[in-house]
Amino acid sequence: MSNPSPLTAEFVAAGRTPECPVIDAHAHFGTFRGIYFPRVTADAMVGTMDRCGVRVTISSHHYAFIDPERGNAEMAQVVRDHPERFRAYLALNPNYPELVQRQVAQFAPGQGFVGFKFLADYHHYPITGDHYRPALEVAEAQGLPVLMHTWGGSAYDSPAHVAEVAARYPNARLIMGHSGFGQWEEAIAAASEHEHVYLELCAAYAVRGAIDAFCERVGSRKVLFGTDLPWFDPHYGIGCVLFAHITDEDRHNILHRTAERLFGL
Amino acid sequence: MPVVRGGRRCWLEFLDCYASFGPSFVPPLAPCGTAEELLAEMRFCGVQRALVHHTSQVEDSPVLGNRLLSEAVAGHPELIPSWALLPPSTEEQGTVEEFLGAMREHGVRALWAFPSQHLYSLSATGCGPLLEEMVARGIPLLLRRADAGWDLPYALLREFPQLNLVVVGHGPWGEDRFFRPLLERHPGFRVDTARYELDGGIPGLVRRYGPERLLFSTGFPGTSMGGALLALLHADIPDEAKAAIAAGNLDRMLGEVRL
Repeated sequence: MSNPSPLTAEFVAAGRTPECPVIDAHAHFGTFRGIYFPRVTADAMVGTMDRCGVRVTISSHHYAFIDPERGNAEMAQVVRDHPERFRAYLALNPNYPELVQRQVAQFAPGQGFVGFKFLADYHHYPITGDHYRPALEVAEAQGLPVLMHTWGGSAYDSPAHVAEVAARYPNARLIMGHSGFGQWEEAIAAASEHEHVYLELCAAYAVRGAIDAFCERVGSRKVLFGTDLPWFDPHYGIGCVLFAHITDEDRHNILHRTAERLFGL
Repeated sequence: MPVVRGGRRCWLEFLDCYASFGPSFVPPLAPCGTAEELLAEMRFCGVQRALVHHTSQVEDSPVLGNRLLSEAVAGHPELIPSWALLPPSTEEQGTVEEFLGAMREHGVRALWAFPSQHLYSLSATGCGPLLEEMVARGIPLLLRRADAGWDLPYALLREFPQLNLVVVGHGPWGEDRFFRPLLERHPGFRVDTARYELDGGIPGLVRRYGPERLLFSTGFPGTSMGGALLALLHADIPDEAKAAIAAGNLDRMLGEVRL
């Protein structure tokens, strides 16, 4: 291995290092359609986090995107049971706007929920739509993070949609989940033009060259690590970061420092 | 690659079963044009050897691509050539015997099929005489999940249940529900690790089916080498299982080919 990174050598040797306590800024909880999860319980996820050196995971409950009241309540319980290891995003279903209003009205920082999560592609409702406004207004007022699933070419959550939201809400912290997968140029443009737009690497990390381009053109201080856990083994994503052609300073920013700063962890 | 397990230092050798190079109609975000570029990235990541194919075998024709591949890897013993097949009926690759003779001459011991690119039926009717020889000689056949879906491997293994079939690039969305039934019915069926990102996927598969059914791969250059590498390096399985998946399984498969 000619990769000269000391951090990579540590992960290769031991699978984790206390010098780099990873923060997973894009995770989930619970079962979901179309996939078999071998490790889906909170205890199993904590086991994975320990093995991979992940200090904290920020999750949204899969079922909360269908039934926010039940799903978010279950997610809150997970955070109460594991206060050192889990934080949560309040997940919303914009197709039940009255529920969005009720959930957002009940949102109180400090109870484990650190921001909001939008999954517009699944709801077939654009992130620019009015039904997301209550959450975005709270995020704007309090400077909260909003993690948005984003995908290249989407009619609901493309990088162009994110740029439109960013122009309207300059104080909210907008995280592009999956970095607008596939529309890399547009994602880089949105994050470059808007100081409060961040790139999150879940799934995108596997695309060779994406991490390198984000670091070079946007800067690693605006790049976050995420895995969709319980979907993806964190070692897979960490390996992509370690073997990208970037500096160890970039690797530390991506794997924990950007999230520490953004979430106050 | 050196690793410390249980307080002792081990050496794990990686043999990638799914890497390619060459120009493309639509290049990936970070293209890899030449064998030398591929070798440089392998050295950077600590991957010692790779079973490789050339993009022209997919995007142009195996007739041209197989030749370009063999020319490109000449002098690079770390790169093991794998050719692409066409149906015997058009004799673009000669008779079956002539094609097998050319494989022998060029040190080729594994074949790819890209039926959706080259428009043929990968079946007993479409390719029967060649597939029968592949079964008899233990020649591995590699298929990309993105090209073949799962119906094709199911149908192919119904007709050739003893075929050494490797489906690569099965997606990160955990397709165990598709491929586990094939693992249970067909001892020659295997899958790769390039995008087997599912948390707990590799250890679960090894516990149930043994380590023989998985082959290390990267999907380079579309996919980063580092992900599959670190995931296998620290998978919750015995070191012997890691060594088998990392290189031993494919080495044994290629070594058992009778040309």
